[in-house]
Amino acid sequence: MNYTALSLSQSPPLAVPLRFFLTAPLFIIAAALLLGFSGEELLVTRWSPTMLALAHLITLGFLGSSMFGAIQQLLPVLVGVPVIAARQVSLLLYLLWSAGAACLVAGMGLGWKLGLQAGGLLLGLAVLGLALVAGRSCLRAASRHPTVPAMAIAVVALVVTFSLALYLLWRYGWHLPLAHPLTRLHIGWGTVGWISLLLFGVAYQVVPMFQITPDYPRWLRQSLVPLLGTLLVIWSFVPWSAVQQPLSWLLAAGLIGFALQTLRLQGKRRRRLADVTLDFWRLAMVSLLLAVLVWLASHWYPQPVVELAAGVLFLLGFAGSAVNGMLYKIVPFLIWLHLNNLLQQSGRRQARVPNMKQVIPERMARWQFRLYLNALVLLLVGLPGVIPLPVIGLAWLASSGLLWWNLVQALRLYRRVLVAQGD
Amino acid sequence: MAPERLLDVSELEAPEPLILALAALETLAPGSYLHLRHRMKPCHLYGYLEQQGFASDTREGDDGGCEVFIWRQDEVGIGEAAKTVADGLKPWRE
Repeated sequence: MNYTALSLSQSPPLAVPLRFFLTAPLFIIAAALLLGFSGEELLVTRWSPTMLALAHLITLGFLGSSMFGAIQQLLPVLVGVPVIAARQVSLLLYLLWSAGAACLVAGMGLGWKLGLQAGGLLLGLAVLGLALVAGRSCLRAASRHPTVPAMAIAVVALVVTFSLALYLLWRYGWHLPLAHPLTRLHIGWGTVGWISLLLFGVAYQVVPMFQITPDYPRWLRQSLVPLLGTLLVIWSFVPWSAVQQPLSWLLAAGLIGFALQTLRLQGKRRRRLADVTLDFWRLAMVSLLLAVLVWLASHWYPQPVVELAAGVLFLLGFAGSAVNGMLYKIVPFLIWLHLNNLLQQSGRRQARVPNMKQVIPERMARWQFRLYLNALVLLLVGLPGVIPLPVIGLAWLASSGLLWWNLVQALRLYRRVLVAQGD
Repeated sequence: MAPERLLDVSELEAPEPLILALAALETLAPGSYLHLRHRMKPCHLYGYLEQQGFASDTREGDDGGCEVFIWRQDEVGIGEAAKTVADGLKPWRE
């Protein structure tokens, strides 16, 4: 069989997404170490410099790196337009984003002005670069797949999120503005606009593809992301709190609707085989439901522990689980795809290529899921300060360390097969 | 021999649907068309179809799934037969 047909001329080289995916867990490892060595005063408020550094290790480091990789992989394939000089552009974006995230987080945690300035500059260039790549793809898109506008809206939200952060840092002389009114907008655009809408768009493609569920209903695919994007814009500009409250509820309803719909589709999947990505996504959707409910509760009980719980449930329970779970499908799929292409193009049609389940063994992924769940529960239970932070940090270190190990083993397998075939 | 070759990949996980579709197209007997039944639109397949000289008609099945009818571009009569069957289904919308 001629698998070279799968080469998909629009698909970028393997290094393009993989360098982002392999770097992403390193930021959670850094977050785990930071958490483990933090004092108990960390949990008193969500506005401490260490807490902000932790939050951005997750948002910029783990989630951001994974999403940069996913956009550069998925968008060209979906729209049918390859990125020009994909390898070089991707390397530049990778260096800017990774170095920028590291500088910004160091600047936050250490009160290091130069780190904040360098981080702001590097991340700004990376965001601009991604926006140009995504913008060009969307303008030339031949496909009307709803993932495409979702990605476009999410990238616009990333630009808004970043611009707000940069303005705040500049306005306050490159010191942390902390609880400024504009940080509410920064968080809203980052969590709902960038993270949620991008994950929704990616889910339209990958949930049916890899979890063997029916497609999302057409009305939901076409309307949910643009509707939430529009609500976010109105929510940002309406100055009256009497109107903002119902708008917040509508945004919350949109997130809840997506989570319930995904759980419903997963319940209707055709083949009921155990699958670790499915479990990660179920955890993600239940966490999204809980995150929204806890966030709504924080309006009546504005206690630090309630606000922190909403943040943990959203960033690690929802977004972290979804990304972690998808890495166990996307990475083996891409390695399988590229191995086939390389071997077939070089004329070795009979060469043996490992299947997806051999690239990352289910048993290893299953252990990492257990460690992830354990770390999440420990963190949530430990928010009132009842579990020593080094214990929670160690749990996250074990989970993220095993994720990184599993991904590195997949890359090593790819290289082993190529070497064995004489490449 | 009936001109239709039915391939139902609607219960398979990626990349199996694509692999089976390509295998079926490589061994598609002259004078027949492939009727591919999937739960989602196989967007990775269309580039291959164009490169290899196949034409296709994508429809929405009664259960909301995706039904793709594929035939060789130079087999006009087979294409007409495939389109006649496809016309019984709704056009596919993204």
